[in-house]
Amino acid sequence: MSKLKIEAEVNGRKITRETEPHKRLLDFLRDDLNLTGTKEGCGAGECGTCSVFVDGKLVKSCLMPVAKASGARIETIEGLATPGELTPMQRAFHKTGASQCGYCIPGMVMAATSALRENPAADIEEIKERLGGNICRCTGYTKIFEAVEMARSVIAGDLPETVLEEDKVGDSYIGANVRRLDAPAKVSGRLKYAADMKLPDMLQMQVLRSPHAHARILSIDTSEAEAMDGVACVITSDDVPGTDGFGVFVHDQPIMARGKVRHVGEAVAAVAAEDLVTARRALSKIKVEYEELPGLFDPEDALKPGAPVIHDYAPGNVVKHIPVRKGDIDAGFAAADIVLEDDFSTQQVEHAYLEPEAGIAYVDPDDVVVVISPSQNITHHRHMLAEIIAKPINKVRFIMSPVGGGFGGKEDMIYQGMLALAAMKTHRPVQLNFTREESLIASAKRHPSRVHYKMGLKWNGRITAIEFNMLSDGGAYGMSSEGVMRKAAILSCGPYEVDNLKVDTTAVYTNNTPSGAFRTFGGMQAQFATESMMDMAAEALDMDPFEIRRLNMMKIGAKTHTQQTLETASLDRVLDAAETASRWETGAPNVRGAKRGDLNGPDTRKPCTLGARIKAETKSKNDAERVA
Amino acid sequence: MTRMKRGRGMAASWYGIARTATIDRAGAWAELDDGGTAKVVTGVTEIGEGILTVLAQIAADELGIKPQDVTIGDNDTARSPEAAHAGATRQTYMIGNSVALASREAQKALFEQIAEHWDVPFESLRAFDGEIWALDTNLRMSMSDAVATCKKRGVVPVGAASFTAHGTGLDPVDGSGSPWQAYVFGTQVAEVEVDTWTGEVQVLGIWAAHDVGRAINPRGVEGQIEGGVVQGLGQALMEDYQTDKGHAITHGFAKYILPTSLDIPQINCTIVEDPDPKSPLRAKGIGEPALVPTAPAIMNAIYDAIGVRIKSLPATPEKILKALRDHVPGREHIAQAAREARAQAARTNSANA
Repeated sequence: MSKLKIEAEVNGRKITRETEPHKRLLDFLRDDLNLTGTKEGCGAGECGTCSVFVDGKLVKSCLMPVAKASGARIETIEGLATPGELTPMQRAFHKTGASQCGYCIPGMVMAATSALRENPAADIEEIKERLGGNICRCTGYTKIFEAVEMARSVIAGDLPETVLEEDKVGDSYIGANVRRLDAPAKVSGRLKYAADMKLPDMLQMQVLRSPHAHARILSIDTSEAEAMDGVACVITSDDVPGTDGFGVFVHDQPIMARGKVRHVGEAVAAVAAEDLVTARRALSKIKVEYEELPGLFDPEDALKPGAPVIHDYAPGNVVKHIPVRKGDIDAGFAAADIVLEDDFSTQQVEHAYLEPEAGIAYVDPDDVVVVISPSQNITHHRHMLAEIIAKPINKVRFIMSPVGGGFGGKEDMIYQGMLALAAMKTHRPVQLNFTREESLIASAKRHPSRVHYKMGLKWNGRITAIEFNMLSDGGAYGMSSEGVMRKAAILSCGPYEVDNLKVDTTAVYTNNTPSGAFRTFGGMQAQFATESMMDMAAEALDMDPFEIRRLNMMKIGAKTHTQQTLETASLDRVLDAAETASRWETGAPNVRGAKRGDLNGPDTRKPCTLGARIKAETKSKNDAERVA
Repeated sequence: MTRMKRGRGMAASWYGIARTATIDRAGAWAELDDGGTAKVVTGVTEIGEGILTVLAQIAADELGIKPQDVTIGDNDTARSPEAAHAGATRQTYMIGNSVALASREAQKALFEQIAEHWDVPFESLRAFDGEIWALDTNLRMSMSDAVATCKKRGVVPVGAASFTAHGTGLDPVDGSGSPWQAYVFGTQVAEVEVDTWTGEVQVLGIWAAHDVGRAINPRGVEGQIEGGVVQGLGQALMEDYQTDKGHAITHGFAKYILPTSLDIPQINCTIVEDPDPKSPLRAKGIGEPALVPTAPAIMNAIYDAIGVRIKSLPATPEKILKALRDHVPGREHIAQAAREARAQAARTNSANA
C-alpha cells in the first residue's frame, strides 16, 4: 500500500509523517503521534469524544480523512496547556467535579473551549447549544455547565481566579468538597484507558461474530486465515484448555460459541494479527457453516410449551424465578375497597458508556496470564478465567484499567477470555478494541420488563394487598439475570409497608441480545410500575401523591416485603425534603397541570427551541470550506 | 387548546446498599508513609463515580493527613486485597469502611510509638491535616516527623482490615430474608412541558431528595444524582434498544438516542443524611438509587400535563401523540365523579371509625 505524506502543525510543532491513506485524522493522532487524549467513542461523528481543532475550528476527527488534515494547524487536548499546567477551562472542570469516568472529557473540554473562543460572553443557553454534539453518560452535564460558566467568568475577569482553587477544609475531610484527585489526568487527556495503551510487539485482535440469532455450528475452517501473512493465531472454542463458561450467577456462556450460537453478535472465532487491517481481512477468510434453528424473540413465547430450547440445562427456558410471599393475599384483596389492575413495560436499554470495551492480555515472565481491561469485577473474572484456562488462581492476574463508564455493563467477561487465549497461544501481548457497533450488539443491556400489577386499597388510602408479576427477557445468556430478578422482587412493591403480597419475577432465555447488570439491577423496572400505580391510586382516591405515600410508607420497625424489620428508615424526611424543595402544591394527581401555581419557578430551566440560542455567528467562509 | 402543556409528578423509591441477599466483604491495607503521606491498597475501585477521592478523604481523615497525600493502590488482583466488585452501590459502604478501619489500625501503630516518645497517654493524641498533637500539652509535630520518629523506633505504621455486611439469602418459597443491612430512600419531583402538536416532552426541573447516610463528598453525591437523573430521563423519554428477530436496529448513536446538553433539566439536589448505625463511617450510598424514581416521576408529570398515562417506556413523541389521539374526551369528568363519591365515602367511613 502506498504511503501518504502528511505535513501539519500539531500543537504548535511542525510534523512530517508517512502514513496509510485509509486513516482518519483520529487514527493518525492516536496511532502515529501517540496523542491518545483524543478518544474514539463511536467512529461516526455522533459522540464528540474525538473533538479537536483543525485550523481553529472544532472538528470530529473520526470524520476527517487524514489527507484532509495535511497542511492544517491541528490542536488537541494535549496542546491546550503546557505540560503540567491546566487552562482555566480545565481547572474549572476540576473544581466543579465535571469529570467522572473522564472518557468524554477531553472532547468535552475541546467543545467548551471552542464555545468560549467563538463567543467569550456565551450565556448558559448558548453554552448548552454549543456542547450539543458531545455526549456524556456519567455526569448529567450539570457540573459541566457549571464549569464552563465558571471558566467564562474567570477568563472575562468577572470572577477571581481563586474560585478555581480548592475550598478550605474545616475540621474534617468527611463532608468536604475535596476536588477529584483523578480530574487533572482526565481533563488533560493524560489518563490512558485500555485502548490508549501500547505494549511492544503487541498484536491486534478482531472477532468474528454470529450473523444468526440461533444456529448450530456445523464447522469452522480457520486454515486460510491462519495461513495469512501477518496472522499470529486464530482461536475458537477448541482452544479452551479448561472448563469453558462464564457468567455472573450461572456460567452458561462459553468464551466463544461452542456448538451453537444463541444471539446475533456472539463471538465465534478471533484473530490476532500484526495489525488491525490484517486481522480484519483474516476474519473474512474464516469459513463457518451454520444450520439455522428456530429463534425465540419474545419472553412470553419462551414459556410456551414446545418452545425452542436455548440452553439444554434449562429446558423450560427459565433463567430464574424469584417468589416473595407475605401475609394472606386473598384476605388482603377481600378487605380492599377498590382494586386497581394494570400492565406496565420497560424497554431494553444500552449502557452507552463512552468507552467501548477494550483490553490487553499478555503472559508475564513468570507464566502469569495478565488481562488489563475496564472490568468492574476483576475478582470474579480472575476466578472464572482460572477455571477456563485451567491455571492456578495466582497464575491469573486481572488489572482494572481506567473505566470509561460502566454502569454494570462491564461486569460481564465477554472478551477477556479471548484475549487470554490468544496471548497464551502466541506469548505476545494482544489488544482488542471494540467498535461502537460491536459494543452495542455484544454487550448486555438493561432487562426489558413486563409487569402485571394488582393493588388493593382502602378508601382511606391504605394498601391492603399487592400482586406483582414481572416477566423479563434475559436474552441469550444468564449473565446477571438471577440477581436482577432477585433485586426486582425484593424492591418490587416500593418503600411501603404492605401486609399481604404475592410477588413473582421471572427471567427467561431468548435469542435476543443478552440482558445483564445495569444501574439499579431491576429496581427501576419494578418501581416504575409501583410508582405509576401509586399515582393512579392517589387519583382514584382523590389524595395528594405525597399523602398516599406517607400513609403507606415504611417507618422504623416496618416489615419489608421480605419480612425484614427495618431499624432505620428515612422516607419521611426524604418526602418532606422533596416536597419543600419543589414548592409542591398539594392536590390529587388529576390532570391539574393547567391550574397549578407551582410551575415555572426559578429552579427550572427554560424550554428550548432548537437553534435559537447561538447569538454570535463568527464562522468565516474559509473555515467553513475547510471543515466541510 | 394550548399547544404547550405543563405538569408535575413525583415518585418515591428505596434501595439496598451492597451485595444483595448475601454476605458482602471488602479488604484494605494502609500504611502511613514517609513524608507524612500514606499508601492505601484495595481491590477494584474507580469506575467514574469518584470513589478514589472518597477513599482518599476517608483515609486522610482517619490518619490525620491531607487527601492529596494519600496514594491509592488498586485495581490489581495480584497486588491488592480483595474488595470484590464495582457495583451494587457498595464501594463507599464496603471499601470505604474497610479503608477507614485499616487506616485506624495504621494510625494506632503510629500513635503507640508517639505516645511513648512524648510520654503522654495514647488517648490524648490527635492528628489532622498533616499534624499530630497531644491534648492539653504544647506537644505538636508534623505527620512527616511523626512517621520518621515511629520508624526510628523500629516500627512501620501499617494496618489491614476487612469489612463485612451481613445480608442473608432469601427463602426459596416465600422469599423471606434480610437482603441488606442498610437501606436508602429517595423522592423526586419532575416538571415537564409537553408539546401537544409534536408529542415532545421536555423535562424542565427535577427536585431530587436522597438519603445517603452521610455525604463524604457532597459535590460528588450531587454528581451521582445528576448523572442518575439524566440516565433515568433517557430511559423515560428516548432510549430504546430495539431488535428485529435478534438483529439490532439501533446499532449506533444515530439510532440509539441519548440525552445531550439540550435535554437536561435544572436538577435541584437535596442530600438527606440518616446515618447508618451498623458501620463506622455511617455513610450509605447513592450510585444506583439516584436513577430509580426519575422515570415514574416524569410519567406522573406527563399525566398531570395532558391526562395521558404512559405505561410503556419510553414516552416517545409517537407514543404521546397516539395516546392523545386515542384519548376519549369526557373520561376525566366520569372519573372525577367517581372519585368524589369514593372520597366522600372515605371521609364518612373515617369519621365513623
